Amino acid sequence: MLWKLRRRCWELWHGEQLERDAEEELALHLELAAADRVSAGLDAAEARRRARLELGNPDAARDALREGRAGFWVESVGKDAILALRALRSRPAFAAVCTLTVALGVGASTALFAVVDAVVLKPLPLPDPSALVRIYDVNPSKGVERSGVTTGNLADWRRLAPRYRGIAGHYTMGRTLTVGQDSEVVLTAQVTEDFFPLLGVEAALGRTFTSEEARAALYDNAAAPVGPDPVVVLSHDYWQRRFGADPTLVGRTLVLERRPARVVGVMPASFAMPAPDVQLYMPWGFSGDEPRDQHYVSALARLAPGASLLEAEAELRGVANALAREHPRTNEGWTVNVVPLQQDLVGDSGRTLFVLLGAVSLLLLVACANVALLSLARGLERGHEASVRLAIGATQGRLLRQFLMEPLLVSCAGGALGALLAVVGLALLKHFPAGLPRIHEVALDPRALVFAAAASLAAALVSGLPAAWRRTRAQPVSELSGTPTRVAGAGERHRIRDALVIAEVAMAVVLLAGASLLVRSYQRLQAVEPGFDPRGVLVAPIFLDMERYGHDGRSRTYYAGLIERLTALPGVVSAGGATALPASPLGPDFERPVWPEESASDERLRRPAWVRMVTTGYFRTLGMRIEAGRAFDGRDSPDGARTVILSHSLARRLWPDGGALGRRLVVDYSTAGTYPYDVVGVVNDVRFGGPRSEPRYEIYLPHAQRPYLILNVAVRTSEDPRRLAPAVRQVLRELDPGKPAHGIHSLEDLLGATYSRDRHAMLVLSAFACVASVLALLGIHGVLAHRVRERTREIGIRVAIGAERGHVLRWIAGYGLRLMLVGVAVGGALAATSARVVSGLLFGVSPADPAAAALVLLALPLVGLVISLHPAWRATRIDAAVVLRTG
Amino acid sequence: MAAEKLELLILKTLALGPRHGYGIAQRIEQVSGGVFRVTLGSLYPALQRLERNGLIDAAWKASENNRRARYYRITPAGKRRLVAEQADWERVSAAVMRVLKAT
Amino acid sequence: MRSAAPTTSDLLHGTLDALVLKTLAGGPRHGYGIARFLEDATRGVLSIEEGSLYPSLYRMERKDLVDAEWTTSESGRRVKLYRLTPTGRARLRAEMAAWQQFSVAISRVLLAPA
Repeated sequence: MLWKLRRRCWELWHGEQLERDAEEELALHLELAAADRVSAGLDAAEARRRARLELGNPDAARDALREGRAGFWVESVGKDAILALRALRSRPAFAAVCTLTVALGVGASTALFAVVDAVVLKPLPLPDPSALVRIYDVNPSKGVERSGVTTGNLADWRRLAPRYRGIAGHYTMGRTLTVGQDSEVVLTAQVTEDFFPLLGVEAALGRTFTSEEARAALYDNAAAPVGPDPVVVLSHDYWQRRFGADPTLVGRTLVLERRPARVVGVMPASFAMPAPDVQLYMPWGFSGDEPRDQHYVSALARLAPGASLLEAEAELRGVANALAREHPRTNEGWTVNVVPLQQDLVGDSGRTLFVLLGAVSLLLLVACANVALLSLARGLERGHEASVRLAIGATQGRLLRQFLMEPLLVSCAGGALGALLAVVGLALLKHFPAGLPRIHEVALDPRALVFAAAASLAAALVSGLPAAWRRTRAQPVSELSGTPTRVAGAGERHRIRDALVIAEVAMAVVLLAGASLLVRSYQRLQAVEPGFDPRGVLVAPIFLDMERYGHDGRSRTYYAGLIERLTALPGVVSAGGATALPASPLGPDFERPVWPEESASDERLRRPAWVRMVTTGYFRTLGMRIEAGRAFDGRDSPDGARTVILSHSLARRLWPDGGALGRRLVVDYSTAGTYPYDVVGVVNDVRFGGPRSEPRYEIYLPHAQRPYLILNVAVRTSEDPRRLAPAVRQVLRELDPGKPAHGIHSLEDLLGATYSRDRHAMLVLSAFACVASVLALLGIHGVLAHRVRERTREIGIRVAIGAERGHVLRWIAGYGLRLMLVGVAVGGALAATSARVVSGLLFGVSPADPAAAALVLLALPLVGLVISLHPAWRATRIDAAVVLRTG
Repeated sequence: MAAEKLELLILKTLALGPRHGYGIAQRIEQVSGGVFRVTLGSLYPALQRLERNGLIDAAWKASENNRRARYYRITPAGKRRLVAEQADWERVSAAVMRVLKAT
Repeated sequence: MRSAAPTTSDLLHGTLDALVLKTLAGGPRHGYGIARFLEDATRGVLSIEEGSLYPSLYRMERKDLVDAEWTTSESGRRVKLYRLTPTGRARLRAEMAAWQQFSVAISRVLLAPA
């Protein structure tokens, strides 16, 4: 049967060719016939006429052949479709339920596939993306795993590593852009000359930077441009949002950090390097003597054709070693790690997404199983229809085709509806990005549509095959008796039905197991002590510019004044600032080697620590604990002694006996020299990157003694911090209208964002698990209800001859419980074997977590038992007398 | 004549050797003594059905007058079907004959 | 799908008509009787299905080859009895000749050597 169907498809595909062949064949036939008649004595014209007359019109033959090819599709399949449509129309509730179920399943899985495809599978939208890599500086001896690279080394790398076609650098920070009266802080990326050419992307409007512009673009220590007025390129998104996609923008001059900046180009919409939220690009040139010890540059490179990643990495490591020998003071111990760019961007979101994709596939299967159960129940009521058709002469293959048409139609409708749902879902997703990379690339593109079609087809087969197969196994009409309630093969029918329910329960169990593990994991995450109290705290990153604030301690004055004013606001408990705030992505963050002054020679006590400049009031604002000594106050002024506060673990490491207070710590600023500081306090450890991150060694320096232009200002309030935002903005405007904050957020939100991926995975998987469980319970209920309906006579008889109602109840409910238990057992086994898959996502929870297991293995059967009671109870209400009478 | 019987005759003809369409028609006409006049509109659809069901297959080859023609050939499945159909026919026609000849 | 014994759905229209007419030539019968007779006469080779027999009778009744009337049988049930008309008798002769020619022709093709 399948072979014939394949052949028919082949005929359809080659229709044109077959037509031409047929023409040729028919023509030859007539010619040969005419030739024969000629040799029998007729003249050519008469021979042709006779032949045509006797053999019939070739056009009619051609039509018949065409009909034979196309007729199948038009007549046969078309008729089947119309029959199926009519059957579905006569049971609109059934059709609607099935269509909706399929739509939900296909929609959810298609949306998730679109996300997986865009984030993990599809190559980056850049030319030859597999040759693009990210380069990190690492220093194993100092415990530095992943660090930015230095401008000083970059030029040497380009020269000495031929396996790289080019190495580019970029550095992103916030700068204030003023258009007319409005100022806002935009994320600007300084990019080296080869950045755009290396990535292979041209500007959509205007152009990118010229070599002259790049070379002239030098920056000072505060990343402010020195030299000529800067030129800028806009990101497509920013151009649209801020300037309404104004085509005349190229050539106009804006004010960037109080300097005029001319717009020379706009990037295309698909360009999202180095990050999708970068709004402005500036050129970046290097002077002759760039430092080799400031690791703040992000490096991208393109491998030369034919170079493998490992070769390139080895080569660059060799270069790094050579540089370390040449410049021991700055480069000693530094080497590199090279990773594919796509992998770097995607990170381990891939694992989470694939787990979710697997989960949604299970959900789709459960949905299809429910539709199959519904179809089975319905098909059994129409069993005799098949018998009649078989008698009239249909083959079993033909019947199967007819009976598969219904689920095929349902799945087409369901699939189309599902695709629409997916579009809606994806649009919603873009509004709540959930911390996924490349989310801007997600769309319902042709690949996702193909997936939707495949999912619909799979749904049609899975949901339709059991019932269709069952119906074609009916016996021909001669075996029909009067009542159509029993069709041959009762035992087999039950097996399929029970198997479907057991499968549903098993899959629901697997999903529940995964979801409960993620919930426990998330609870553990939330319970982690971050080291600070985020409740009631508002964070505002501020970027001061060098020109106005870079001299005479003006930044110190500004921030001191700002904090004073903020503290004076009603409802504010305290305010403070830090160059690097936990969970906040902006601000200068760097490490420096530190050691106790008295143990300068002890290598083991020389460790890298993250350096933060903080104002007075900072620790109080963040709710951090002073474990020893004091916080910063008026004594830590510019003319006072240099002071430092250590984090708990650093103090313990360097002074295990606990005597850090009062000692001196030396900090190595490499080319800028080393300086000793008085330790005046020890503060608790914080989990800087959120609950999943480990505490690091940190030192805090008073901002007054070492003022930075960039500061994350935090405000603690006794009420809802979000309501304070307008007041904060007002204060900023009063102090300097040209210095707005770049996005004011509550610290709770920021902290939550550090594990938003876990939260969303948990929510999504829980949603899938709930839906699957509901479907499975509905399946159990339906099967039991159907069983009661089938066995109504039997139950009536049993009751009549004396069986107790309780016995009937136990019989039916027991059947349901048995199905559930088998399903739970199968599901439990499946979940156990696939535990490894989920374990990578968990936090502080092992896959064999007893609480999670208990929930699943006990709760589901219990609920199932409760559900079973309804049809069981209905069974006990069967009136024996009525049943026996109606027979 | 009914299509199934034509298909049976085609199979028998091809069982004796491959032929093109005209050759098949000729043979049937000749051997049946002119009773069966095979028209284009019955022959080629029958060949299409047989080919589709895998009972015969076909290939383009050079024919007598150096034009190319489609030569048909019976397949093993076709041979099996021929045997079965022929046996059926003999039984049925004998039975029908018995009824019709009875007094 | 082929069933074990050839059924009347495998026969040509004309053949079944001829068989029915021949049956009725031996006397009027009702439908079931025709079927039984034919099955006996063919010694079970042909099994007559209601699905083809009655349409055939209907067709021939419309073409006035057979006559039908309702009577009561021995067991007291109402049955439709069919009877050959003169037109039908003539048609029978024609069908028999046609069948003869057809059957011989087929046999010649089937039995002819290469």
